[in-house]
Amino acid sequence: MRVADAAVGQGDVMLSTLGLGSCIAIALYDSRAHVVGLAHILLPSEALARDRENRAKFAATAVPLLLERMRAMGARDASIVAKLAGGASMFASLLTQGGPAIGERNLIATRIALASHGIRVTGEDVGGGHGRSVYLHGADGRFEVKSMGKGCVVL
Amino acid sequence: MADLLHLDSMELDALRETANIGAGHAATALSQMTGDTIMITVPTITIAALEDVPSRIRPEEEPIVAVLMQMMGDLTGRTLLVFPHPTAVRLAQLMLRRPTVANGPFGELEQSAIKEAGNILSGAYINALSEFMGLMLLPSPPSLAIDMSTAVLNTAYLQFGTERDMVVAVETQFYLLGEGEELRGFFLLLPDAASLQVILRAVKVL
Repeated sequence: MRVADAAVGQGDVMLSTLGLGSCIAIALYDSRAHVVGLAHILLPSEALARDRENRAKFAATAVPLLLERMRAMGARDASIVAKLAGGASMFASLLTQGGPAIGERNLIATRIALASHGIRVTGEDVGGGHGRSVYLHGADGRFEVKSMGKGCVVL
Repeated sequence: MADLLHLDSMELDALRETANIGAGHAATALSQMTGDTIMITVPTITIAALEDVPSRIRPEEEPIVAVLMQMMGDLTGRTLLVFPHPTAVRLAQLMLRRPTVANGPFGELEQSAIKEAGNILSGAYINALSEFMGLMLLPSPPSLAIDMSTAVLNTAYLQFGTERDMVVAVETQFYLLGEGEELRGFFLLLPDAASLQVILRAVKVL
């Protein structure tokens, strides 16, 4: 999956997106229906963008987008949980303009979007100063997060 | 700002020529530092939504070393100097005049050497632009990232500006012609959208 993209799947599938920096991978899993959804968001909300068409690009719109598509495959909100990865600050910048770095803002916006839909976050590998690649397995909701020089974390 | 996406060919040429002057000075500095001959390519200009920018380095998880500097003053934006890992290793060796660990993580000294090389090269680039355009440009201290290419590049594109999903990138690739070594890297000038107009005005095509 590319940047600003979303995908859903059921059963024995694996969804993956590579090279997350300040972006966030939102992984949703319905353990009852074995439906998974993954979004690679770029920005907290469409207010910061020129092109606002793509709902998968923003935390605030990607969460409802994933939920709609997962419901269409038989998932129910009550049995969906979320796992998050990303939101790093890749450059130890001396001059962060206007408050928290974009990775941090993405993370806050993602948590708010999930909370407003009543989705619980059960695992996170976020922040820090390193990039991540993620792999989400449909069979059991396993969410693997790989980082350069830091190995693999399973959430 | 509405015409940001549609520069005409004269404007694109002006931008390319501006970048070429900067890159020429940076290449001279690199050549003096390493003693190697440096070749640079004609700059390419990318103006696109971030998700549509083709990845410059494949695969996405390829480790790269990048030095980011911010430009302040009459125009704002960033410069990003990117080396594939092996080139950065070689550069550190040349700077420190001693062998370094070939593939392991960089020590503090190597990181510092690479950051300083980035500082010199980006400084040469920014100074040349400043002189050519008659604008005051102030570079920030350098900031280093060593990680997967996509993570580094997307974050650098995204860092600042109001229209964060739009990328304006002027790229120059360079090659070191050493002893049969394939050493390369690229230099990205990332002006904020508003500063693009300032550049074009300064070189009198607007």
